[in-house]
Amino acid sequence: MIEFNNLSFGYTRKKLLYKNLSLNIAAGSIYGLLGKNGAGKSTLLKNMVGTLFPVEGEIFVDGMVPGKRRPSFLQTIYYIAEDVYVPPLTIKRYKNLFAPFYPKFSEQSFYQYLDVLDVNVDGKLNKLSFGQQKKFVIAFALACNTKVLLMDEPTNGLDIPSKTQFRKLIASVMYDDKIIFISTHQVRDLENMIDNIIIVDNGDLLLHSSISNIADKLCFKTVSEIPVGAKVLYEEKMLKGTAVVMENINGEDSKLNLEQLFNGVTENPGITKELFSIN
Amino acid sequence: MNDIFNFKRFGLLFRKTILERPVQLMGITGLILTATLVIYALCLYFISFQPAQNMAFIWGLVGGGCFLSSVVFGYFNTNAQGSAYLTLPASAFEKWLCGILFVGIFFLCTFLAFYKLIDMGFVTAYRNGLDKNNPAYKELYNSVQYYPLDNNNIAKQSAMLFFNFTGAMMVGSLYFNRIAAIKTALVYFAALAIIYFLNLLLAYSFFQNVDGAFPFHNIFIRAGNDNGSIELPSSFSNITYYFFAFIIPGILWITTLIRLREKEI
Repeated sequence: MIEFNNLSFGYTRKKLLYKNLSLNIAAGSIYGLLGKNGAGKSTLLKNMVGTLFPVEGEIFVDGMVPGKRRPSFLQTIYYIAEDVYVPPLTIKRYKNLFAPFYPKFSEQSFYQYLDVLDVNVDGKLNKLSFGQQKKFVIAFALACNTKVLLMDEPTNGLDIPSKTQFRKLIASVMYDDKIIFISTHQVRDLENMIDNIIIVDNGDLLLHSSISNIADKLCFKTVSEIPVGAKVLYEEKMLKGTAVVMENINGEDSKLNLEQLFNGVTENPGITKELFSIN
Repeated sequence: MNDIFNFKRFGLLFRKTILERPVQLMGITGLILTATLVIYALCLYFISFQPAQNMAFIWGLVGGGCFLSSVVFGYFNTNAQGSAYLTLPASAFEKWLCGILFVGIFFLCTFLAFYKLIDMGFVTAYRNGLDKNNPAYKELYNSVQYYPLDNNNIAKQSAMLFFNFTGAMMVGSLYFNRIAAIKTALVYFAALAIIYFLNLLLAYSFFQNVDGAFPFHNIFIRAGNDNGSIELPSSFSNITYYFFAFIIPGILWITTLIRLREKEI
């Protein structure tokens, strides 16, 4: 559904952030786009929504070119920027003005999501706190029922109960023909929510894999001694031994630790590439 | 689906444009009209009718138009606002048309109607205040006329400046994300200064005793105690007039559309 063909992008032509990136993203999954600050996560999302244009190569979203920003394309995608914007309108006024642009908008779902996220105000939206504004925009975006939903650091500014509600909401709106793309550097917020992971660093695609594939190939555990000859992606001294992320030779079942995986992939991109063939 | 223009979608967009930022668009329009009234009244009080009519017309139309056109595409102060605007499902043409209609039709018509109204009010009040028994009544009555919009060189020049400056401001607001009005004004005045001084330099290279020169218009020459001016032949003068009155504004207003299509944030 989303296709990157040899995409190169840079804020200046001389210094490219992404070089010849090729990537296929299928519908029906929640993707976690992970990377450090300044790794190029937002840039990738902006290329997908068409607010930045590739220097070379192409992107297709549902067969359409984002950069043309045609209404038929924009109706199928919703992008939530990291720093949200809400105009000085009431919830009802906002809905009346913006919802008609999205043919699949569901008013019933909108009010339901607002209720779940505990956003209930009679006043103007711009008077709300940042977290409340963010929750409002998330509720509106979900109610638009677009095929592609891109969220840039959606959990920034959310309190702990709201993060939990956010995870539940995202899981509840996921359908087979939809893609939800969540970019974050707060990897723990995505645990138990995403089913595919993309890790980027300095414009390089380090990992693109499903959670099940990662669980098949890697083992997350705490050991007293690191086995000799094991391919270790990450190790961290703990109170009761050493936490390791290593090659899963024996087909063990272990609980994925996103933070350790992220650290391992960014610290050892070479081993990652050996273990995972990047699409 | 028509991806260029859809009447229903355009209607929704226009409604959204006005109601999303009523304070900015309608408020600024109101402020400009109020400022026009104040300028008219102050100039009338301190100077006289004709300067009051001209000053209020020039500052209201040109100054106000510049101010308004700098905010009509002013969505790019923040990344979130700019993204929300660019990703709203409407075509670049529809978004452009919204801005153009607001500045070029709505504001222009509202301003002209309001100006006509206050001008009629002031002139009528003046005429009603005259003593009919005064022997100079007729002369005083005729000394103040309603401000003519046709066959009026100042109105014509103001209209030309309005379309040039508003075009420049709209283009500027799509090039500069923050404090676009100030940055655009600086660029525009810098360009005008460069043209003025290059023209002066050129005049000095061709003539002696040059006193001054206006680009595409005339050169003032000093000969002893006398001053003279060399003007462009009328055929060239007409060309430059059409260039500034139609071609440059046309280019600027169309550049706004092109820039909006290519805007990145």
